[in-house]
Parts: sequence; C-alpha cells; structure tokens
Amino acid sequence: MATDEALIAAVAGGDGSALAELCRRWERPLFRFIDRHTGGRDVEDLYQETWLRVVRAARRFDPERRFSTWLFQIALNLCRDWHRRPPPEPVQVDDVATTDADVDAALDARRLLAALPEPQRSAVVLRYYHDLGEDEIAAVLDCPRGTVKSRLHNAMRRLAALARK
Amino acid sequence: MNLHECDEGLTALLFGDAAAAAAHLAGCARCRMERADVERVRGVLAAAPEPVPPPGLAARVLRAAAPLLARNARRATWPAVARALVAALLPLPLIAFFDWQIVRTAHAVLSRVLPDALSFYLVFNYTATLVLLLALTYAAVPILVERQARLRHQESHG
Repeated sequence: MATDEALIAAVAGGDGSALAELCRRWERPLFRFIDRHTGGRDVEDLYQETWLRVVRAARRFDPERRFSTWLFQIALNLCRDWHRRPPPEPVQVDDVATTDADVDAALDARRLLAALPEPQRSAVVLRYYHDLGEDEIAAVLDCPRGTVKSRLHNAMRRLAALARK
Repeated sequence: MNLHECDEGLTALLFGDAAAAAAHLAGCARCRMERADVERVRGVLAAAPEPVPPPGLAARVLRAAAPLLARNARRATWPAVARALVAALLPLPLIAFFDWQIVRTAHAVLSRVLPDALSFYLVFNYTATLVLLLALTYAAVPILVERQARLRHQESHG
C-alpha cells in the first residue's frame, strides 16, 4: 500500500486517484479536527479548501516530513483565518448556566473548546481527539514542545475552572 | 508538590494518562480536590458526539480539485518539455546552415535560367515553406511530450 507521502507526490503529478485515496484515509480525522476547531461552523467549506490547498501546494511538500503533520498545519492555518473573519460569534460560557443541574447539560464540549484561546484549543483538540503526542503537536503548531506543554496545562486549568462554575 | 507537578498530574488526568495521574494524585491532596473538576471536563469532552462528514463530501472535493490536478499534471511535464526542446534546438544551427546553403545554391542555379524576379520568388517560397515546417515541428514538441507523459502515466496507473 502506498504511503501518504508517495500519494502526495502522485497528486503533485496530477493523479486524481491518489487524491481520492488520501481523502479516503484522512476524511474523518480532518473533518473532526476542523469541526472541533470551529465549533461545527463552516466545516465543509474549510474541509474542501484544505484539500484544494493540499493539491495546490503538493509540489512543495517536503518528503522528509509527515503528510499528516502538513495536512493538519494547512487545516489549522485555515481555521485560524476563519476565526479572524468578522463577525465573530462570541460564546459566553459564563452565561450558560448557574445551577449544578444545568452545568452538565450546558457545558458541552463545543462551548468548552470555544472558551479556550485558539492556541490552547488547537493543542487540546490535537491531544485529546487526535491522540497526538507533544512532539507531533509541536510540529503541527510549529512551536517548541515546552510551549505545547504550557498550553495544555493552561487549557486544563481554564477548563477545570469553567467546569467548577 | 510544586505547581508544575500539579499541572503535569492534572493534565495527565485530563488526557487519559492514568498511571501518571494516579502517581501524582496519590501524594497530592490539593490535586485530589481538583480531580472532580478535571474529570468533569474529561467527561464532557468524551461525551461529545463524533462529527461525521456528510455523504458526498469527498466527491465534491474531488470535483473541485479536478482543474488543479490538471494544472499539476501540466506542470509535472514542464521539465520533460524543457529537455525535449533543448534537444530539438541543438541541431538547429546545423539545419539552418545547410538550408541556407541549399537556398543560395538554388537561387544561383535558378537565376541563370530564369528572370531574377521569378528566381527570387521561387527561392522565397521555398525558404518560407522551410521556416514554416521548422516552426510547426518545434511547436509540436511540447504537445507530443505532454501526450507521451499522459500515456505513460495512464499505463503506470492502469
């Protein structure tokens, strides 16, 4: 079976079947990542745009790197751009619920993730939902491993504080 | 326990590293108090339904990517086209030299038996035909190389 890296080289040569195979392999992880990053908004458009960027940039892919890291980096950049677009839709977690009974119902994962700053949210999504190690997250986020650690710690503190309310 | 160790322990608890979390929690009363909050977060994250791509999304992506793939295929042949053009252009000075000799000789022979104007007209027509044929030949090189690359690609991918 061809590796992802071999398939992206074929995509650089215009091979549609290689792209179809990559889409099949990465459809669910990529869709999940974007969905959790944007809180389920504009996921299909961002998903499609990610693949179009992959095809456009396929010739520049460095075969020394892992395809998955590169794919998530592209998706992450698109998600960041998406978050910068006006008008933002702020999620007021503080307003969600005040009684204990309401808390569990209202504190869903989307609201929790939306309450995190983007760098922390990216780290949490990749760590929790995609089971990436700190080194892989650091490669995707293009930051040192120590930064990933501190983002995860800060995210944990923030999420725990939200759960306490 | 210092704060960093507490962060490590509770983060391990949140992200499912049970052994590391248990080792820390066993010796840290402060984190045992926070354990419920972190476990609640973990429960909420775990309870989130897994987003499922809608049917037909992959087909939509492939349709949208078709023009870009075609562009990639064209670009992939550029080095081969460049090589073929260089190879085709190498003998051009020689071809031009011999053609020039033929044209000069033809003009000299014809001008002995025909009026100058008619001789010039015939030689000019001959030269124009030669130039046109050469231009067509060189124009066909990229087209033939691209077609050959496409056929090779189709053969190698069934």
